[in-house]
Amino acid sequence: MRDSITTARQGIPSIALVTDAFWPQGDFVAAATGMPAVPRVRLPHPVAGSGEEAMTRVANDIAPQIIAILTGATSN
Amino acid sequence: MTLLEARSEADALEQLHALGLTDGLPVVIPTPERVAMMALATGLDPDLELGVMGPAHGVASVEKVATAAVMAGCLPDHIPVVVAAVRAVCQPEFDLTEMQSTTHCTAPLIVVCGPARHQCGEVASGFGALGPGHRANATIGRALRLAMMNIGGARPGVSDMALHGHPGKFTYCLAEDTENSPFPPLHTTYGYAEDDSAAIVVGAEAPHSTLFTGDADNPESASHLLNVIAAVMANPGSNNAHLRHGAITVIMNPDHTKVLARAGLTREDIQAELAARATNTAATLAHVGSVFHVDREGPPDELFPILKDPSRIVVFQAGGKGLYTMVMPSWCAGPHQNPVVHAEIDLDQACEVPWAEALGLGQSDSSDTLGVGQSETADVAGGAA
Repeated sequence: MRDSITTARQGIPSIALVTDAFWPQGDFVAAATGMPAVPRVRLPHPVAGSGEEAMTRVANDIAPQIIAILTGATSN
Repeated sequence: MTLLEARSEADALEQLHALGLTDGLPVVIPTPERVAMMALATGLDPDLELGVMGPAHGVASVEKVATAAVMAGCLPDHIPVVVAAVRAVCQPEFDLTEMQSTTHCTAPLIVVCGPARHQCGEVASGFGALGPGHRANATIGRALRLAMMNIGGARPGVSDMALHGHPGKFTYCLAEDTENSPFPPLHTTYGYAEDDSAAIVVGAEAPHSTLFTGDADNPESASHLLNVIAAVMANPGSNNAHLRHGAITVIMNPDHTKVLARAGLTREDIQAELAARATNTAATLAHVGSVFHVDREGPPDELFPILKDPSRIVVFQAGGKGLYTMVMPSWCAGPHQNPVVHAEIDLDQACEVPWAEALGLGQSDSSDTLGVGQSETADVAGGAA
């Protein structure tokens, strides 16, 4: 979250990838750092150690969301 | 600061619990009078900023830290240690924001050194120093925790993501047993004069008990003791074994330090010996499936030390005499990888205050409305803003 916020502050489009379990923490950090609307995409939890097949499935699911946010097709 | 109102102390306590501003245990109600008196005891300007506490980025003013100290049950005598501990954890290299947010159970362990052990307490260093029954130890550590929660905004499962936490997250404070120790006072190794007082703070897991029975007739006793401490330090389930950075705290009881001192070992010798002996083989790391172990192509008996810097082993004496030494592994992560931090305990600024009067001792209960100090950051942390 903080990497994404730091990058966004530099004017570089950025999206934080946040897992389900950390979604409330993402909200907290975004609010605490003064960027409550910083773009986020929700991932299942956990991602780490879930295996290549699961990682590929997650990547396929979220890639269109990331592109949509970056191109302005959707806000979050 | 904003003020809450309550009809009684009991009502005020329930409000604080409901707002998530406690650690789950009852607190002393931080009325404006008590907070003002505790802040006065610091001898510092109540608006003085001691640092910024993440992840909420709350400003730790003297007044807000005094609020936490009142809630924790501190006496005014204790507040110089609390102020020093807050200053220590707010140093950037402590990575407080990351530490508060991690899934690891790390908690700041406060080691009180120098004359403050007696003047701000008594801060216990003997039997059960890390356990219940010592007011200064219990309340000083708790005050830091409440500051980290209510100023720093750490809330379990929301902004403090420790999977389990550990009991040291309620309070984690003791003093060095300097008088009986064969080593120079711990704070002198960090550049302080012996007559200075300092709070040494290190992120730490819960204590891991380490048994060594010893044998005065065995010339290998010192080596055996070093070996068993090193074995606990190198526990292949700890972060230290995998990340191989961070710090490790080793609290030795007087009987164990005697064994090492009799062998002619200084603190620096012990740090070097432990750093050299606390290793895991490549085979052990592979056996436990370490994803951080990237050198799997090497020989299976290749040794991997768990620390690269022996000075990051915090060795000192505390506890009663007997068979056990305590080893606290650490988180090891964050941009600065869990270093040891410290701050001077300034006893010159502290002043006596009429604390019994502030607590209302000897007075009958009043039904007057109570004002309860609450920091603005606490509002944010509690989701009220």
